[in-house]
Amino acid sequence: MSPKNGPRPRAAAALAGAAALGLALSACSGGSADSSSGDALVVYTGQAGDYQINFNPFSPTKIGALGTIYETLFFYNKAEVSEPAPLLATEQAWNEDGTVLSVVLRDGVEWSDGEAFTADDVVFTFDMLKGQPAINASGFDGTVEAQDDTHLTFTFEEPTFVKGPDLMGNTPIVPEHLWKDVNPVEDVMEEPVGTGAYLLKEFKPQAYTLESNPEYWGGEPEIKEVRYLSLSGNQAGADAIAAGTIDWQTGPIPDIQNTNRNFPNYDAYTQWQNQMVLATCSSAELGCEGPQTDPAVRHALYYAIDREQLNSLAFMDTANDMSPAFTLTPSQDQYVSAAVEEPIAPTTAQPDTAADLLEAAGWAKGDDGIYAKDGEKLTLTVEVVTGWTDYITAIDTMASQAKAAGIELTAAQSSWNEWTEKKGSGNFQLAIDSLWQGPAPDPYYLYNYFYDSSSGAEVGGSAGNNYARYENPAVDEAVAALATMPLDDAAGRQSHFDAIQTEIVEDMPYVPIMTGGTTSIWNTAEYTGWPSDEDLYAFPAIWSAYDAAEIFKRLEPKG
Amino acid sequence: MNYFLRKLSFYAVALWAALTLNFAIPRLLPGDPVDILLAKLQQRGGTVTPETRKAYALLLGGDTSDPLWVQYWDYLKNLARGDLGTSVSYYPAKVSDVILTSLPWTVVLVGVATVIAALLGVLLGAIVGWKPGTWLDSLVPSTTLLAAVPYFWLALILVYLLARVLGWFPLQGGYDVVLTPGWNGEFIASAIQYGFLPALTIVLASIGGWLLGMRNMMVSTLSEDYILTAEAKGLSPRKILRSYASRNAVLPSVAGFAISLGFVVSGSVITEQVFSYPGIGGRLLGAVTNNDYALMQGVFLFITLAVLGANLLVDLLYGLIDPRTRARA
Repeated sequence: MSPKNGPRPRAAAALAGAAALGLALSACSGGSADSSSGDALVVYTGQAGDYQINFNPFSPTKIGALGTIYETLFFYNKAEVSEPAPLLATEQAWNEDGTVLSVVLRDGVEWSDGEAFTADDVVFTFDMLKGQPAINASGFDGTVEAQDDTHLTFTFEEPTFVKGPDLMGNTPIVPEHLWKDVNPVEDVMEEPVGTGAYLLKEFKPQAYTLESNPEYWGGEPEIKEVRYLSLSGNQAGADAIAAGTIDWQTGPIPDIQNTNRNFPNYDAYTQWQNQMVLATCSSAELGCEGPQTDPAVRHALYYAIDREQLNSLAFMDTANDMSPAFTLTPSQDQYVSAAVEEPIAPTTAQPDTAADLLEAAGWAKGDDGIYAKDGEKLTLTVEVVTGWTDYITAIDTMASQAKAAGIELTAAQSSWNEWTEKKGSGNFQLAIDSLWQGPAPDPYYLYNYFYDSSSGAEVGGSAGNNYARYENPAVDEAVAALATMPLDDAAGRQSHFDAIQTEIVEDMPYVPIMTGGTTSIWNTAEYTGWPSDEDLYAFPAIWSAYDAAEIFKRLEPKG
Repeated sequence: MNYFLRKLSFYAVALWAALTLNFAIPRLLPGDPVDILLAKLQQRGGTVTPETRKAYALLLGGDTSDPLWVQYWDYLKNLARGDLGTSVSYYPAKVSDVILTSLPWTVVLVGVATVIAALLGVLLGAIVGWKPGTWLDSLVPSTTLLAAVPYFWLALILVYLLARVLGWFPLQGGYDVVLTPGWNGEFIASAIQYGFLPALTIVLASIGGWLLGMRNMMVSTLSEDYILTAEAKGLSPRKILRSYASRNAVLPSVAGFAISLGFVVSGSVITEQVFSYPGIGGRLLGAVTNNDYALMQGVFLFITLAVLGANLLVDLLYGLIDPRTRARA
């Protein structure tokens, strides 16, 4: 009997104790959520769940260190068409036919453990990648030779101009004296040694902290500490902004247009890179089925969208115009062919144009107001990922807009895995998605990734980036020709751009929606030097590691 | 002894069935890890070229071409050696390492909250059931209301009121990240401060079930003849409540408690999402979205073992606590 008496009072006391402790502690901290951030710049990259230590810059599961600890030879600013900025190298030059790239390295750079950085480290890094296909993400297949400590050459068998940005701006250089003894695929580099402006201070599953490198060749940065926090997702990030516990996140928050009014310490800044599209399974020859295999249907859809309405209903007015030539607008407007009649997709719906196109292609309006041809109704299913609320709203909006033009759109929600699978295997009609940019601000990369038939596949096979299964010999030819020309040969390349753009505007395997905005919310009360329209020195997104590293170096604490 | 042997062999079969299901279910998911990793990389601003795809397929997709039965056999063999494999989404970290860093957080938070909820619920249930029909009965609808409110909503409301508006508790996380995890007073105090609000939401959401179950058992126990006998003997009401009514009424709750302890390991995915709390639920969610078979299997294995273990414990303990089951055996 007596044992039964035990638990009650003890439990009650423990509970009361815990409650009192909790209250007392919270009373101490005074509810000031800012106390934990200290002096560090606290950032949230969108990491969902705890960090698992991995500072190997070549690992797909790395959690950081690119740009901040490990530097590349050059920095390519994807936000603007501009010259690459020198980092570990100061000069690069191709020979005439694009087979030899000569690079001059910066003198007097040291690794953070005090050893000197030389051309041998660069040679070692590239040789290592070539010997380890599992981490050779840029597919480097040339040879590198050092002439002396600061001069080296890359030699290729074929013209390789377009690979340059991947090698110069996307390959972090690692120290030979440490890496020659490790397994570059599996080592997680708990104590990363690099040349960058920051050093790893400490790692914890909930956060890791970088501290400034006093010996940095470019001078010690003003921001002495950067802390990367892990939270559960975008919602948690928005909460943290509201509570003032983080200084920078890239992602949506409610009422984003009035960020500065709602949270006076913060401001929002948007740049546009993701070209949102309704990707179609376009090629009937490769096995695609459905009305979307008819280019007239794709064009009709393009004209049926009221982009102004869509922007305000689905994208909180953060999206921007888009060019059917798939050059970024406005930053890549210079590449748009004169032959493209509409350099910008129409901002309002043009149902009459859509109707003309469909009727010319043999479609006829049925009694229910929806077009049909040979007994097949013009009904299309759009694949979307459950939980991508902006895209789902966008489809709902476009469905009602398309209905006015006689096209029926329905959304099919599925998990990310399933959605990816459907795209890869070609078992879809339309998928809402966005196309991404290459390592340099140049439209070549997008054309190569998404329109070149080499990364397509038959329906049922597994397609790469070109999951729309677009196949056009004229485009393939122009892409191949561009690969053999230097990136700065504007005049020579334009004729190939013209050829590609004429074809892809006519075939439209990806129906342009709008260019999606990437919005950063950052603390303008305590820090200055953030990128702006006047000085867009890097793409403002915390998850874009090389850009973020540039931004850390430019920031200054206020006051 | 026969009773225990029978029980143990039943659990061995259950374990094997669970392990097999554990192997099969993740493989029924669509998609493959390389595609998902690439999609993630691209969303994070990386460039995904055909070369990148090839490299990652080489890195991660080495063994998926084996026939299923070979994979199954390897799976059982490795399991026997305690090797849970390598996580794809946290490559090259071992699954066991990934789980072990998260497990303590979940076990302590959800465990403590479950114990508190059960004790409070049973205690209140006994008191409420002792005097059915009085104003105390209003505790039943009020606590079941809290249990009926969708948990995420309850949690969000509490976060909004207590953390955001009043600022009594930290909004997110498991500890102040400035501190170093370890057995020092400052860190533990911080962990308690951060864990209080999540624990409170779990207690509030689950106390109603305990209270209702205990109260109803109490009411039916009170109508038993032995209670009447005890009253006729002239025992004090307090003694009857403690030793006669509660003791018998609590039996189903004890069984329920042991089983819910088994589920502590699986944690509360939603709690961890709402509070950005470090724990096993978040890992499981991540593993599912990344098609990380090995990590999924590892987490499921821990959950399976915990639930089976808790059940076994109840089965064995029940023989001791309740003489009736012993007599049958």
